[in-house]
Amino acid sequence: MSAHLPTVPAEPKDYKSELKPIWCPGCGDFGVLQALYRALAAIGRPPHEIAFVSGIGCSSRIPGYTTAYGFNSVHGRALPIAQGIKIANPELLVLVAGGDGDGFSIGGGHLPHAIRRNLDLTYVVMDNQIYGLTKGQLSPTSPRDLRTVTSPYGAMEAPVNPLLTVLAYGAPFVAQGTPADMAGLAQMIEEAIRYPGFAFVNVQSPCVTFGQDDWQVKQHRAAMKRLESLGHDATDLLAAMDKARDYGRELHTGVLFRNPAPPPTYESLVRERQQAFGNDVPSPARVLDAFLQK
Amino acid sequence: MNPTPGIDFARLSLKDALDLAVLVEEEAEERYLELTLQMEMHRTPRAAAFFRFMATNEKKHGEELQARRSKLFGDEPRRVRRAMLFDVEAPDYDEARAFMSPREALEAAMRSEQKAQAFFEAALPHLSDPEVRSLFEELRQEEVHHQALIEKEAGKLPAEDPLPADAFEDEPAAL
Repeated sequence: MSAHLPTVPAEPKDYKSELKPIWCPGCGDFGVLQALYRALAAIGRPPHEIAFVSGIGCSSRIPGYTTAYGFNSVHGRALPIAQGIKIANPELLVLVAGGDGDGFSIGGGHLPHAIRRNLDLTYVVMDNQIYGLTKGQLSPTSPRDLRTVTSPYGAMEAPVNPLLTVLAYGAPFVAQGTPADMAGLAQMIEEAIRYPGFAFVNVQSPCVTFGQDDWQVKQHRAAMKRLESLGHDATDLLAAMDKARDYGRELHTGVLFRNPAPPPTYESLVRERQQAFGNDVPSPARVLDAFLQK
Repeated sequence: MNPTPGIDFARLSLKDALDLAVLVEEEAEERYLELTLQMEMHRTPRAAAFFRFMATNEKKHGEELQARRSKLFGDEPRRVRRAMLFDVEAPDYDEARAFMSPREALEAAMRSEQKAQAFFEAALPHLSDPEVRSLFEELRQEEVHHQALIEKEAGKLPAEDPLPADAFEDEPAAL
């Protein structure tokens, strides 16, 4: 986060917009939204200094429910748009949100590049293991054998493991939460925002209408295991990968990995180069001429 | 889940305790209003009416507590903030369901009141100020009273809806 800007004393309601959520009653995303309000209040940046980008899907409605500048963009394209915003105005706090289908299927190709560029973004995925908005089809994180209206004989593919995927690509901050622990989730999102670089938070946010009946918030409460209480060392990448392998079998919550030596962010490298060029920055016309002459 | 991270009960003054109590009621009122809206939006009017009734009750209780706070401490600044509370008396979001019956709504409210009672009870051993202790005992008792009110409302309900909740679910996929 660009933490040098002044902060103001804030309350969660300062980030709550007038627009009322139209999610199904009981949806996990309500808890994620509350956790987000708390995290933003703890950070204290005024809403006009926050840009919130999403893709398409139930969870991608979330920017509209906040007072931040919101961009409910194109399916799977939240990350490229967020990167553009951050490069154009590095002082903004840029949040990205979406679902598992948006992030790991149609937008899956953008994820490794957003991670390797390492812009200072916080990406919150509401992973419900189903396409809920389109009435319950298999998503990239649906468990094998899951039956849906379009897969009556069960899913044949193994699910994507989002935690292992982002760790393997080199994400410097990776966490997992659930709306069953709103306080823990709020703290996690706050920490992700404060981390100087690409921060990924996977939230197991059950779909109450098309999700699995035996994997709702109530079951999360009983199943969740806090990494902190397991003695997990969040600075150990291999330990994080080991815990990430349990995705789909265990519900580990907390910070899996926090790179203790944050790599340089893309925007800081851009700034370095701008400073190195000084007054010698070629004009766009000169760049174009050089290109055409070649 | 710790519903009040960052609050040290041993150091809670009467002003802090009253502020905390007001915020607990405010949080519950807001949540009931949210659930009311959800129910109205999803064509569940009878549960909506009950959640609105609960919101009115929470508001009334919050205003009473706020009046006491103002009388004792005037406009002295508040140290306890809403960001420190997580669903002390507010019903959990996952309690709500589209097409839930009024009885299910009542049961959800009952669980919330019991949750609040447990919260005040659990805090009692950690309190050092006798005035704060007395307030918390009163608040705990208030939650018991609310449970009795809900029981009374439940008594007014007719027998459960003839249609089970799963009657509104989609048909399973044909094989």
